Amino acid sequence: MESSPLSIRRVLILAARLVLGALMAYAGWAKLFIPFFGWKGAFLPGISPHPPVGIALALFATQIDAYQLLPPWAVTRLAHALPFVEIALGLLLLIGWRLRVWASLVSALLVGFFVIVVRTYTLGLTIPCGCFGPGGALTFLTVLRDGVLVGVSLLFTVLVFLEARSPHPWAAQEKAT
Amino acid sequence: MFRRQLLAAAFLVGLAAATAGWTHAAPPQTGSSPIDPHKVFGSKNAPITMEVFSDFQCPACKTLYTGVWRQLFENYVNTGKVYLIHRDFPLPVHAHSRDAARYATAAARVGQFEAVERVLFEKQQAWDASGDVDGTVAGVLTPAQMKKVRDLVKSGAVDPEIDRDVTLGKSLGVGSTPTCYITCKGQTYPVIGPQSYQVFHEFLDQLLKQ
Repeated sequence: MESSPLSIRRVLILAARLVLGALMAYAGWAKLFIPFFGWKGAFLPGISPHPPVGIALALFATQIDAYQLLPPWAVTRLAHALPFVEIALGLLLLIGWRLRVWASLVSALLVGFFVIVVRTYTLGLTIPCGCFGPGGALTFLTVLRDGVLVGVSLLFTVLVFLEARSPHPWAAQEKAT
Repeated sequence: MFRRQLLAAAFLVGLAAATAGWTHAAPPQTGSSPIDPHKVFGSKNAPITMEVFSDFQCPACKTLYTGVWRQLFENYVNTGKVYLIHRDFPLPVHAHSRDAARYATAAARVGQFEAVERVLFEKQQAWDASGDVDGTVAGVLTPAQMKKVRDLVKSGAVDPEIDRDVTLGKSLGVGSTPTCYITCKGQTYPVIGPQSYQVFHEFLDQLLKQ
């Protein structure tokens, strides 16, 4: 029997793909271009908008360094790589190509972020999250937000793998002709 | 099929690039509050102004002081690249930080801020436990200097200065310490939390390069 192209699973995959893809791409882009300070001054206090990318990356490195988890050389390399990795993963999710690979990678990345955020929160460190560029301190809401994102991402990954096991109706039609 | 995906990617990249120029805001007015001349370091004409909101009882401030300050002074402040302004931001969660700020501000008025700042950070763990700020400060001042400092602390003459720093910090959005506002060429950047010197100096070098 041919399955419908609009099953609940496919709708969920599409929605999660768009949300996670857009968020990942935005997270990387925000670290490079530091947007939205103009009309969200209270949310992003004290930051000048749109500095050159080199300065934005060096500033992002100071945010990673504040977590005090990595040696300085690793902080610098991660700061220069992470925004581009996030943009690439976000775009790959949005495009929808080889979803199993990218969904797994995004889930692994988000689980890693979540562990670090929970550790920071439980230690009581009042540092900025740095998740979407410079911003306010890491709070319980940050933990909650990251927890929800991890949940969505893991569910998305499981659904993508389940979906891959059943043939797509359109793909079946192509095969038949 | 893959061509459609490429077109979608190109559209998204274009959208991101187009929205990069959406907003612009004036930088916050750091350095606008009156500055105690004994709590500033380096040349006023330095290309970078660094305003540090600090709490003497905060462990992260101690980390910043012990890990970054000496090299920062050697390579940036003493060479005329950075103008450093100390601002007190005693957090209410620390029982003795307000007292420590009082003693440090009073010591600044007798020209001994650096010595008192050093001893307060270096012996933070001891006075954090005992609450003996007075005894800690007395260890690095002469009896005559200590008498003046005690008089200033008891009279409350230094409190308005600390309050001014706290008010300025709150107006800038300082929520935790240490928070550094670094201004270069009219642009201000916040650096929040403890840092290692290597990462910090790369950021300063980036600013100087632009």
